Amino acid sequence: MRSSSEPEVTDAALTIEDLAVQLRSRGEVADILDGITLTVPRGSVTGVVGESGCGKSTLLRAILGILPGRATTPRGRILFEGRDILPARAAKPHGRIGFVPQDPYLSLNPVFRAGDQILEIMRRHAPGTRAEHRVKLVELFRAVQLPDPEAALHKYPHQFSGGQRQRLLIAAALCCDPALIVADEPTTALDVTTQREILGLLRELVRARGLSMLFVTHDFGVLASLCDEVSVLYAGRVAESGPTRAVLDTPTHPYTRMLLSCHPDRAVELLGIPGAVPPATAQPAGCRFHPRCPVAQPDCRSEVPPLLPWPGGRAVACPHTARMEAHALA
Amino acid sequence: MPELLRAEALTTDLGRRAGFLRPAVSLRAVDGVTLSIAEGEAFGVVGESGCGKTTLARTLLGLQREAAGEITLAGRRVSGLAPAEARRLRADIQYVHQDPGAALDPWWRVGATLDEGLRIHGVGDAAERAARIAEMLAAVGLDADFGQRYPHELSGGQQRRIGLARILLLRPKLVILDEPTAGLDLSVQASVLRLLAELRARFGLTYLFISHDLTVVRRVCDRVAVMYLGQVVEEGPAEALFARPAHPYTRALLAAAPHLDGRAAGPSLPGEPPSLRRIPAGCRFHPRCTRASALCAAQTPPTEAAGPAHHVACHHWREAA
Repeated sequence: MRSSSEPEVTDAALTIEDLAVQLRSRGEVADILDGITLTVPRGSVTGVVGESGCGKSTLLRAILGILPGRATTPRGRILFEGRDILPARAAKPHGRIGFVPQDPYLSLNPVFRAGDQILEIMRRHAPGTRAEHRVKLVELFRAVQLPDPEAALHKYPHQFSGGQRQRLLIAAALCCDPALIVADEPTTALDVTTQREILGLLRELVRARGLSMLFVTHDFGVLASLCDEVSVLYAGRVAESGPTRAVLDTPTHPYTRMLLSCHPDRAVELLGIPGAVPPATAQPAGCRFHPRCPVAQPDCRSEVPPLLPWPGGRAVACPHTARMEAHALA
Repeated sequence: MPELLRAEALTTDLGRRAGFLRPAVSLRAVDGVTLSIAEGEAFGVVGESGCGKTTLARTLLGLQREAAGEITLAGRRVSGLAPAEARRLRADIQYVHQDPGAALDPWWRVGATLDEGLRIHGVGDAAERAARIAEMLAAVGLDADFGQRYPHELSGGQQRRIGLARILLLRPKLVILDEPTAGLDLSVQASVLRLLAELRARFGLTYLFISHDLTVVRRVCDRVAVMYLGQVVEEGPAEALFARPAHPYTRALLAAAPHLDGRAAGPSLPGEPPSLRRIPAGCRFHPRCTRASALCAAQTPPTEAAGPAHHVACHHWREAA
């Protein structure tokens, strides 16, 4: 057991080691995350991509320290600023991790002024007086390019458009000077033109403020335009990880390959992936993708494939990728 | 291909009538849209939220009464009618809801929901209804026992399949698909798109495909209309329109769509999406357009031919290329 009082020195903004989370529901145990290992290097954007049910939201909750009560004691470590923030009794890094939620329409209380809602966060977690907070918030509104930042302080959420609301929420995520931003598909609810502006803003903020970001998405286009590194999740495990460009150009895990071949940009013929993501209460033994995998071998049914290092700073959790090569050619 | 549906200078107003101490509110959501959809075609309508895509669909369906203009379905004029009559004459047009989960009654087994549509449309024989439902469930790739399930027991992709089955049971000619892949995972989206293609071939369907996802539209549609603030600013064969977009707005939309190769996109589109409450004079796009001139602020651009069956409404489309 390491003592949490001595921070470990690391050049990563966030390191997740072998994280496992289970949820109890109606007497069943749902295996949501299992052996998640990933790193967000300082000053860069790391993407987590996967389909519904892959555990993206639970991963975010674990990082933010808001796992539901029915979660069993999680296994593994989440190292932030040198401390393991996973244990329930660990000091939570309030304000040091900013969160940008998915839906700008649902994430603000309609009956309070948007500015007051953000000032409330600052009152709880940021040093300084209310007057100082207001000055800082107007600056932040300017940084996220809200029109007329002074007036924005006094407006209600409905007086902003969807894109502007997402800017407000980005300002809220930044209000306590975080070192890390965690974003949950912040552009899904927006038009492509607005999405483009928001992605540009996030990239600019990361660069200008030296932020690190963990960006969860299911959209490979967004991933390609924003993230430096990526981890592909399937059924609660990392299938593949590495530099985004390399993973998208030469996907290696059978799941990544099949998923990318579903993308309208790339697909020769839209085929989909046979079968469905398994329910978390009935994860298959061995490799969790094996029931849907075209090159599954007998050992895939029993052995959990380890995340193996791969050339180019990558890692792949499949020992049979060469067979996929042959399968693709056939 | 013969023309199945034609809309000529179609205009729709949304709003409410004046009441006590309340002025009438009226928004022109669709303003002078002309389009022609051939039998068997997949016709895409794209544009940002609030551009009038859904109102256009509702007007074509007859759920929203047109303020002006004419709609012809299979050579027969079906506009200028009272709502009930309009809907009756347009029974060949059916609509697949954007959120199929919300369109299904949570207290009803899926089979009962499917059955209801048939009963309303006068298929009296219970045995025939059951046979048609079983056949249609198979056509959308679901087992017959799905009829016994409740909507919450279905995944997003399965709900879409049920939504499609419900509409196709009524044997429509034209199916309006409103954002049929919104909120779906990539692999599910691929199988839904594939199913749509199969059903189109099998039942000889014509699609009006409303979407803001340009990569999907490019993949699925034969022809595409781009809408901005209630008007069609460009229309043409999908291939030509995506390869050589003529309108600056189309170009901006294409540039904004993220791609897998992460290619550096073109200039971004400044400003907020426009509001129907403040429609700019002249070309409606001019406040956000990089090529706007004094002419654009003063005069509505005429619709010109930019290629075979390719039309664009822009004063400067020639220079932009």
